[in-house]
Amino acid sequence: MSDTAIRISDLTVRYGRMTAVDHASLDVARGAVYALVGRNGAGKSSLVRCLLGQQKPQQGTATLFGGDAWSRRTSLMQRIGVVTEDADAPPEMTVASIARFCSRLYDKWDQDSVEARLRTFGVPLNSAFGSLSKGQKKQVSLAMALAISPELLVLDDPTLGLDVVARKSLFEEVIGDLADRGTTVFITTHDLAGVETFADRVGMMENGRLVLDEDVDALKSRFRRIRFAAQPVAIDAAVLRPTVMRSWGGGAEAIVSNYDDVSFERMRSTSNIGAAEVEAMSLEEIFIAIAGAKS
Amino acid sequence: MKNALVIAAREFEEKRFVAYAAVAFAILPFIFAAIPGLKANPADTIVMGALVFGTAFAIAVGVISGASFIGRDLSDGRMSFYFSRPVGSLSIWFGKLTAAILLIVGTFGFIIIPARLAAGNHWTRLVSASTTYSVLYILVIAIALFLIAHVISTFARSRSPLIVFDFAAAVICGVVIRLLIVPLIAGEASVIISKLSIALAITAALAVVGGGAWQLERGRTDRRRSHLALSQFLWGTMAVALLIAAAYVAWVVSVKPGDLTSHIQATRSTGGPFAVITGTSKGRADYRAAFLLNSEDGSMTRVDPWAAWLTRYARDGRSAVVPRRAGAGNVADIVIYTRGRSEPADTGLTIKDGGYSISDDASRIATISYPTLSVYDVAQKRSLASVRLPEAIYLRAFFVTNDVVRVFLNVRDGMKIVELDVRAHGLRETGFVPSGNAIGAYPDSSAAHMLLRSTHGDTLTLNDARTGAPIKTLVSGTQLKTARYLRDGRIAFIDGPDSAAVLHILAADGTPQRDIALGAKQFTMFIGDDGTRIVLTDLDTTSGKKMLESINIDRGVIERREPIHDWVPSGVFDPRPPIEPLREVFYVGDAGHILAWNPATGGKRTITGG
Repeated sequence: MSDTAIRISDLTVRYGRMTAVDHASLDVARGAVYALVGRNGAGKSSLVRCLLGQQKPQQGTATLFGGDAWSRRTSLMQRIGVVTEDADAPPEMTVASIARFCSRLYDKWDQDSVEARLRTFGVPLNSAFGSLSKGQKKQVSLAMALAISPELLVLDDPTLGLDVVARKSLFEEVIGDLADRGTTVFITTHDLAGVETFADRVGMMENGRLVLDEDVDALKSRFRRIRFAAQPVAIDAAVLRPTVMRSWGGGAEAIVSNYDDVSFERMRSTSNIGAAEVEAMSLEEIFIAIAGAKS
Repeated sequence: MKNALVIAAREFEEKRFVAYAAVAFAILPFIFAAIPGLKANPADTIVMGALVFGTAFAIAVGVISGASFIGRDLSDGRMSFYFSRPVGSLSIWFGKLTAAILLIVGTFGFIIIPARLAAGNHWTRLVSASTTYSVLYILVIAIALFLIAHVISTFARSRSPLIVFDFAAAVICGVVIRLLIVPLIAGEASVIISKLSIALAITAALAVVGGGAWQLERGRTDRRRSHLALSQFLWGTMAVALLIAAAYVAWVVSVKPGDLTSHIQATRSTGGPFAVITGTSKGRADYRAAFLLNSEDGSMTRVDPWAAWLTRYARDGRSAVVPRRAGAGNVADIVIYTRGRSEPADTGLTIKDGGYSISDDASRIATISYPTLSVYDVAQKRSLASVRLPEAIYLRAFFVTNDVVRVFLNVRDGMKIVELDVRAHGLRETGFVPSGNAIGAYPDSSAAHMLLRSTHGDTLTLNDARTGAPIKTLVSGTQLKTARYLRDGRIAFIDGPDSAAVLHILAADGTPQRDIALGAKQFTMFIGDDGTRIVLTDLDTTSGKKMLESINIDRGVIERREPIHDWVPSGVFDPRPPIEPLREVFYVGDAGHILAWNPATGGKRTITGG
């Protein structure tokens, strides 16, 4: 059995002259939580559609558990729970009839878990899907996706439309729980604060290119915000590579992407940089820094 | 299969309100029938109401379902609902398709069946047993509209520029189908046209059904790729089907004279070498090919089968005037084939509905598009005169000279004779023959005199062919069978009982010259003469066989007899005898092929087929 749940190799998706995904490659290990971030239109949803075998890439491959996502979609979907970006169930179907319909298609189906989750979410079974709020639709989709105890859960922007409470519940109770149980989770989101606590690895897309693909811990350890009391500050780029450099109060602020304590201390001892304060950064701050630097 | 049924059930459940509406429409005819004071029979009202509502409902459901069941899901981004489940593209397509067709058929049945049961005999009175099938055609039409709506919806909703290609492909298909149908129409091949149309319709339906499956397999949730896949499958299939159809049609129309094996018919020039032979051939169903034969040089030229019976042969035997279909309807261009020339001459003249006569040398053509009679000069390619004819039940026109056209107009109380003189540009009534019956008139070569015979009478008279004035009664009450002028001006007629028919030869003034006993003959007809022999066709009552008889009128004996399957009409469009002597007679042999028979020698040769 392969240790890799998802493998995307040199994936390219084009719509006419526009390239939505540009030679993207990434691996997700079994049991890992992978968060793919990026601005709207960065190419995340196109990549997810390829991952789910709904779209054939012009180039490259997407494999799930070693099987090609395009050609083996039907059998692979028995093992994968999906929450799509847009709620896609027919609006006139009731939540109960959606559950009934799905139960006939899967080999494994836990109706009790669906009903329990929907009760938790406060979504009535007899409601028409079209009458639900955006957040409730996501919750229904999530309940259906989890009813098969998936080996892989793919969540395409699941927090869109969710209120703060529901969002917190989704991340902490559901995804956190799945992560603890070893279910692989692939999530695209804008809510970096939400995934920060449990994401093992993060990818970032920018204009179709995967500009970042790294373990969260490693990423967070190499990004630092350094505030200098005085300016101008001359930083030896060979030692610390500033991603952002700007004025801050009476001094300067630098965000470096290759921080390590030893190098920094060596630089401080050999250079005249004055007083400096080093702060760890959140994923969201790192994302903004990288996106800002790219633009 | 199981997944397809699950999807079908879900789709059907989604549209169950349509079934409820159908039930409401099923009740409506019964409500109408119960309205007090309604003049129509209640059962008739139920049947008609159900038919109208059922038809409208089935067609509406077909179009709306087709326009929405895939195209709308794709454009609304709802296809991922299925594609993110463990269900194959084929299951999704056939599940949705099954549900949609069941909905069309089911709702139609909901409306029709109660009316059928309630109406009892009134149904079979209003919708006869044979037209019950046409009720099923409504379903076929509704399903066809459903498939067409699906294709248009997929193409339109994808918002892809590919739709321009689709439009072009549809136009090309239409043009190719028309190009395939036109020669078949010309060959009167209604069976082939019907089968080809059904085959192409079924292919198109299968292409859409297969294309739908291919579209979901290749396009999945992507509406543009879905469009591309459907386009590729649909037009690819149609291109292959049309190529096969084109190859088949090319083979059908490539029939050669020797291929003709059945339904062979022909007309021929009595005094010249031309004949038109038509027939069908093995493996080509009812496609009828036609060829203009020049027996002088043995050449065969393909002509329009439609025009086979509209070809006119010049009395001098030099030309055959052949209509050639021009566009839709019964419009034809006229071309002239002349002895010694390989290519026909285009007259520039167009006729409608086939009514025309030619002068003895085919230099002038009179067209009759009732009530207008026009005379054209072939060499000058222009109209010389055009007049309005009087009202008539039936008419027959022929050139007396190149400048004068005489018309026999059968009217209610007799036969009117009029003449158009192109030099005077006027139509003049020259005579009238009163009669309670329709009259057959057979002028002599110069059109000075004519033989008159009423269709229900038993009298043959000699009359002035211009004024109609009676000159002499030739025979009366002798069971007259047929009469005709010979080329030299003498008169020939046959009368007597079927057991003992007699050929009478008379001088031009009606003086009897010779009687020749023919024996037991029925259905006698003159074919022509060579001055010494008269050739006629008849049914020999003793043997029950159709015969050609060569009768030597100088010696008063039947020289030769030739059993035939059928005769080949000649000289039927000109009431006068031909100018040239008869040398060869065409007939259809028992094997269905055309043979030429020399009445002087009894020699035979195969012209075509067999």
